[in-house]
Amino acid sequence: MAAEPNPAPGSPGAGPWRLALRRLRRNRVALAFGGLLALIVVFVLAAPLWANHVADTGPNQTHTLEKIEVDGERREVVNVEGRPIGPAWLGAGGKFFLGADGRLGRDEMVRLMYGGRASLFVGFASALLATVLATILALLAGYYRGWVDTVISRTMDVIWAFPVLLLGIALGIALALGGLKIGPVVIPSGSIWITVLIIGGVLVPYTARPLRGTVLALREKEFVEASVAQGAGPLRVMFGELLPNLASTIIVFFTLAVANAMLFEAALSFLGVGVQPPDTSWGAMVGDGFDLISSTPLLTILPGTMIFLTVLSVNVLGDGLRDALDPRSKVRIEAHAGVAEPEGTAV
Amino acid sequence: MRKLGLVLLTLSLAAGSALGLAACGDSSAKEGGTLTGSYAAFPDSLDPAVSYSQEGWTAMYNTYLPLLTYAHANGEEGGKVIPALAESLPEISNDGKTYTLQLRKGLKYSDGSAVKASDFPSSIERVLELNSPGSGFYTGIVGAEEFAETKEGGISGIEADDKTGKITIELTAPNGSFTNVLGIQFAALVPGDTPAKDITTDPAPATGPYTIVNPKRGQGWSYARNPQWEKTNAELMPDLPTGNFDKIDITVVRNDSTQVNEIEQDETNWMVNPPPADLYASIKDKYEGTQFRVERPLNLYYFWMDTNRAPFDDVKVRQAVNYAIDSTALERIYAGQLGATHQILPAGMPGYKELNLYPHDMAKAKQLLEEANPSDMEITVWTNNESPNDEAGAYYHSVLKELGFDATLKTVNADVYVPTIGNVSTPDLDTGWINWFADYPNPNGFFEPLLNGEGITPTNNINFARIDVPKLNEKINELAEEPLGPDQEAEYATLDREFMELAPWAPYGTNTVSTFVDSSIDLDEVIFNPTFGHDLTSFELK
Repeated sequence: MAAEPNPAPGSPGAGPWRLALRRLRRNRVALAFGGLLALIVVFVLAAPLWANHVADTGPNQTHTLEKIEVDGERREVVNVEGRPIGPAWLGAGGKFFLGADGRLGRDEMVRLMYGGRASLFVGFASALLATVLATILALLAGYYRGWVDTVISRTMDVIWAFPVLLLGIALGIALALGGLKIGPVVIPSGSIWITVLIIGGVLVPYTARPLRGTVLALREKEFVEASVAQGAGPLRVMFGELLPNLASTIIVFFTLAVANAMLFEAALSFLGVGVQPPDTSWGAMVGDGFDLISSTPLLTILPGTMIFLTVLSVNVLGDGLRDALDPRSKVRIEAHAGVAEPEGTAV
Repeated sequence: MRKLGLVLLTLSLAAGSALGLAACGDSSAKEGGTLTGSYAAFPDSLDPAVSYSQEGWTAMYNTYLPLLTYAHANGEEGGKVIPALAESLPEISNDGKTYTLQLRKGLKYSDGSAVKASDFPSSIERVLELNSPGSGFYTGIVGAEEFAETKEGGISGIEADDKTGKITIELTAPNGSFTNVLGIQFAALVPGDTPAKDITTDPAPATGPYTIVNPKRGQGWSYARNPQWEKTNAELMPDLPTGNFDKIDITVVRNDSTQVNEIEQDETNWMVNPPPADLYASIKDKYEGTQFRVERPLNLYYFWMDTNRAPFDDVKVRQAVNYAIDSTALERIYAGQLGATHQILPAGMPGYKELNLYPHDMAKAKQLLEEANPSDMEITVWTNNESPNDEAGAYYHSVLKELGFDATLKTVNADVYVPTIGNVSTPDLDTGWINWFADYPNPNGFFEPLLNGEGITPTNNINFARIDVPKLNEKINELAEEPLGPDQEAEYATLDREFMELAPWAPYGTNTVSTFVDSSIDLDEVIFNPTFGHDLTSFELK
């Protein structure tokens, strides 16, 4: 990647966000993967269009005993041995474009699109939940320090001490039957929000701890002291002074959290404690296709590839954002790795 | 219900758990040599007092013998109880409460010690001391309930005389299937000083043709010839086979595709469970009749409907569901490993008389539902998360939606599924999936626990439909006291029809397993006993 010019040519008054955007635009790899992520988002958002106007079936509609015409030949969606039809591509007018999903004969393409919606929704919603909670906790811990910091940090340590997947599975099983009731908030079992809450909750320490460290450092800066000297209260300092300075870090952590949350969701759903049937997600589809992997590997490969591409896109885009928002981190990383490539002036 | 058997069997259908034996021996010899094999998972236990799985019972069929056993034969013939350590079948008193047996004289354990009559009560006490899942089979013996609670003082209802070999068992109430119960694995005799702890890794001396040696949990075990079998026991028990191999080595191989591959490469003899679902059809096509055979154990897969809750409190609604279910679709969901059935008793069970009261007819189903016009169409459909049972549940859910129900599918972890739907305080227990495996070939094993209204309990309930019809309860109770004969079988067939007319369930099939052997084994000689599964003594090189 090219070094950042110093100063940014032709824009002496450009603000940090504009500079960051400019750096991001120069990062072709990040942009390419950002484009891929956008394509994936469009793909899953188009699910109802494909389902209603092309495939003419819903994601949970079974077709076990049906026959369809593929390129003029009448074929069973699921044969007597329970083997699903393979990709029909456009031979059946878009129906069963990627074949059937298994012995229930559901349209794989439609399930892949709807499953992607669930995966992306859980990924983004969990990451958002984790980031919001982590930011609040980090601000409280870093600003107040003392016993507030101790309580928050040790609580995070306790959560962190659990193997994250086991904790997710345990919570998933515990909430699978009765759902969740917190005061007036009732989330029925099987709701996708249960998965969001589990993943979001479990991921909080992973963002909160590094953010807390940043807040502790910022807390000692002169601009905070100046703000306090001017009579700003804790809320004003936390959300008016510290939070804006955390923004770039939060954005980077958010993208990483999205990728982690998607992988986590895939693992939970693969193990049967994430998105609940008959709804699906890419992780659940990998699990569903697993027992047909010898005869119909596509059922596992397709959702697995979608997870891979999406997580890769989010991660590369996240790296690009980090480089754009905090180029010093790149200098630090490369210096640490022994790469003799000086970066331009830090913002 | 053989719970672990269910779990392993369904796992085998989905993820391809398979059980197998591999042979590498002298292919020219009819006898001798070593049979090597593999289990996809180590059985729940290799202790006769503890194991409650088909895999465990298969492993111990020819090692730890009860007083009675099941004939080493296929199908219905294999359902017959025959004497093993006892000289003959029990003498039953007129009131049906006293069973008298005579231990054969001169029997020895594999360590050379004598088999004593008192080993029978101590073995049954051991079952209760270990809080075995088989305890319930023996709590009908006088004093057994008390012993199960106190673990002290012995079971007063069993008298055993070591001098004469006479064993007398007193029951609290007549039990027509107690002869069957005396033949299952839990009743196998082990020496009286066998400790009350699981002996999987420290096997007790055996009475059968083989002894278990070198068991390692998670890895496997071997069998060696019982030295006392040839010396004494074989002659005393002429109806029991000796087996053709001198040694059998079994290892745990978790990859089912590897197991299939080894059979195809003639490195493995036998897989007791079906090959993985996605290979099943091709294996069947390629090897049926030469190396592959479909077996039909006694089981039933069905959807239950809670007859006490709307909308399923209306018989028309339940009948509508029966008409709506299409077994053809479910056969495909089970990858061809399901035999369609529409009644309580599975084929092969005494009393089975084919019924098909509800052939698939969606129009008729909708018409019946229209006539019933239930006010509550909001239902929850329960299933567990093991494939293909989860798919069967999803299919059922889609059928109910097609019928017009506002159905929600609830998929529960298989480990907690039965306790969950067996707890009547669990909300929304409207309808769901379940299966049932017979412990032994007696129709009472289906009616008494699953359909007798007197057995409904607040927790651990297995009458999932909560059907309680006093007239039918009485009939079940009457038949339960009578030993099985042609008259009783006819009564059970009538009972089957009467229940299906009330349609508390929508039965859809019996699951099959398979015999899959390599080219060196004579498939025709392999025995699949409906209670114990594959009989290791029947394996023979061509």
